[in-house]
Amino acid sequence: LALEEAVGMDDPAAKAASIKAAQKFFSEDKGSAFEAKMMDENLRLLAFQQELEKDVDHKVKFVGLSVSETIKLCLVNGLSKKAERVKKDWAVPDKRFWYIKLQALTQLGDFEGLSQF
Amino acid sequence: MPSTAPSIDSSKPEIDPSQVVDVGVLKELAKRYLVDALNSVNGPKTLVLDPSLAGPLGLVTEVALLKQHGVDKMFWLEPGPLQATTTNIIYLCRPQVQWAKLIAEHVKQHTKESQNHVYTLLVVPRESSVVKRILEDEGVLGDIHISEYNLQFIPLEDDLISLEYDHAFKEIWLDGDETAVYNSAQALLTLQKIYGLFPRIIGKGDHAAKLKNLLKRLQSQSPRQAPGSHTLSEKIDSLFIIDRRVDMVTPLLTQLTYQGLVDELMGMTSGHVELPASLLAAPTAQQTPSASAAASTSAAGRTALTKEKKKKHHLTAANDTLFRDLRDLNFSVVGANLSRHAHRLDSEYQSRHQAKTVPQLKEFVGKLGGLQTETQSLKLHTGLCEIVDPQTKTEVFNKSLEIQQNLLALYDVNAQISAIEDLVAQGVDVAVVLRLLCLASIVAPGIKPKVFENLSREILQTYGYHYLPLLLNLSTLHLLTTQPLSPAAQSLKLPLSALKKSLRLLTEENETDNDISYVYSGYAPLSVRLVQCVAQKGALLAAPAPVGEEAGAVPKAKAPKTRSHPIVGWKGFEDVVASFPGEVFDVVQAPDGGATDSSANAVSVLLPREDTTTTVVFFLGGCTYTEVAALRWMASQMRGRRFLIATTGIIKGSSLIEDLATSL
Repeated sequence: LALEEAVGMDDPAAKAASIKAAQKFFSEDKGSAFEAKMMDENLRLLAFQQELEKDVDHKVKFVGLSVSETIKLCLVNGLSKKAERVKKDWAVPDKRFWYIKLQALTQLGDFEGLSQF
Repeated sequence: MPSTAPSIDSSKPEIDPSQVVDVGVLKELAKRYLVDALNSVNGPKTLVLDPSLAGPLGLVTEVALLKQHGVDKMFWLEPGPLQATTTNIIYLCRPQVQWAKLIAEHVKQHTKESQNHVYTLLVVPRESSVVKRILEDEGVLGDIHISEYNLQFIPLEDDLISLEYDHAFKEIWLDGDETAVYNSAQALLTLQKIYGLFPRIIGKGDHAAKLKNLLKRLQSQSPRQAPGSHTLSEKIDSLFIIDRRVDMVTPLLTQLTYQGLVDELMGMTSGHVELPASLLAAPTAQQTPSASAAASTSAAGRTALTKEKKKKHHLTAANDTLFRDLRDLNFSVVGANLSRHAHRLDSEYQSRHQAKTVPQLKEFVGKLGGLQTETQSLKLHTGLCEIVDPQTKTEVFNKSLEIQQNLLALYDVNAQISAIEDLVAQGVDVAVVLRLLCLASIVAPGIKPKVFENLSREILQTYGYHYLPLLLNLSTLHLLTTQPLSPAAQSLKLPLSALKKSLRLLTEENETDNDISYVYSGYAPLSVRLVQCVAQKGALLAAPAPVGEEAGAVPKAKAPKTRSHPIVGWKGFEDVVASFPGEVFDVVQAPDGGATDSSANAVSVLLPREDTTTTVVFFLGGCTYTEVAALRWMASQMRGRRFLIATTGIIKGSSLIEDLATSL
């Protein structure tokens, strides 16, 4: 469990490594299948975020955000396709997705988008 | 010594000051220890301070005093190089790994730059082997002189003393680290040295019982010095220990008293609250330099250290009578109360127009100073309300209140859980969500595995995967459990619906005016109800509570004629109290054998007295301001008993959760 504490690192590579270690640790224990799965998701997210950063030429920082925050940032930056992908890949329920979208649109001041709801 | 004239006036619960336990002694003690510690190092010195100690120290001493004793400059203990001009450097910190590492870094850096310093480390409140080990590992142990600064109970108010351990709950229950228990025992021992033995110790909770045993052991070990230290206390009639684990429900709820809400929404540390500077600047601008301005700036041992625009204000009833009136009220009536005060002040100002003669005018001018300070504090509190009020009107706040109330009433728990899910979807503050979830898990008890997994997933996706350790921690503590309950969780299960009946935890709306449940708008804190079981049985027995009269062989009971009955232990409530987890105990302390006149002493203490006695209520693992309010209310309902509330720290639901989240 102590491996968990390493999650706070800044460097993506080191972070991925420590999460991997944590994931392994959890998967060894039958009782924590859920935790292992979550760590797996976390790894995937990290990879995806790095990819995203590359796509936007590192102008926007994605690494370290949560799933919801990632979706929101995608929307704010006009990457709605990516946002849809996150939604699908991480099985984000509609309800939460719409809340996030709502918040993103408000932040953009996109009232047309808002009124389309 | 108490009692020259037992006050007979029945209308006012005025208390003879000579009978009140004076907590100022504790402050003096803390101050003296600090001065001693500082003086042990000769010459000018640089003080490096653990930020978490600033608040507590600020309550004990002033910067000026430190300067007097040779402190040249003060710094926070934080990463980065330390520039010290004096040879002597004193570190003052809690025994935590991070601090020890920082100190080691400083020392190493200085040796590299070949600066010569003499290091002294004052560990609060006790030396710890962990700190030594780290310093040894870092190879700097030889360069540092380690000593301790025994900071114990700090008076926050005249009836509230705290050890100010922020992490006591986590340490004891999550880490299994019982240092806090040991330190509490030490601090209680000090109380006994000052005020005499607690005649009786009553409590509930496994760790509370540990604390009691430890206290007894330390007591028998301590050398017999002054004879006074081993006679029974005359002012204190008993010590009531309750550990936080016994009542987890209460801190998870949103506090609804004025002070509680200020703590919930703005955060208070060591009795200080951070306010926008404008709120405090206004009174300072008016030429009344004394009272409130001094209070706001003398806070904490910070010199040029603060960067924030916000100012700290010391909220205390000691110099703010208005606050004394307001702090324990349910927030819903604070507004009305403020306006009443405003009107009263206004009419007093108006009275100058009626002043015609010179003596009348003189009288008015005499009052003016008092009026001005009152106006200031009125302004302050109105301002505070203006900040707090909108926050209590937000949808989220009300929704979470609603969920809390429904959960307590065990009304459609599943619906509440999906309501919590909605809050997650909206991205509401994680602490709020987790509080509700824990509450749901406690009352349900347990959440269905499927639902739980779903919710955890939602939480992790919304707030980030780094909350996984926190979720795990909450599970280890069985604050979050899934159905079916594991055996360990089963043993901690709270029979809430039974307790609700036997201890009347929930009351009807209209009853709340004359019951402690007003503090949570209808819910009486379990912890305080327990105290009531012991100290104010009447209030509980009036209700359909189980009457188990004649049950226990209670060794001592002689009814004084005051209305508050003496502490006779759990009598009448044994069944109820035993019905939920946590060891129950009740010990009568005899004065230590040996002294020949001790038995005579004991008898005299047991004799019926007309005096006011004080019951010390110690919360192991922290208590909330609202619980404090409830206890104060209880005291106001009884003649002849005061409560001195002692705690390891002031907590609230969010701080409890955040504390569990921080690793190491």
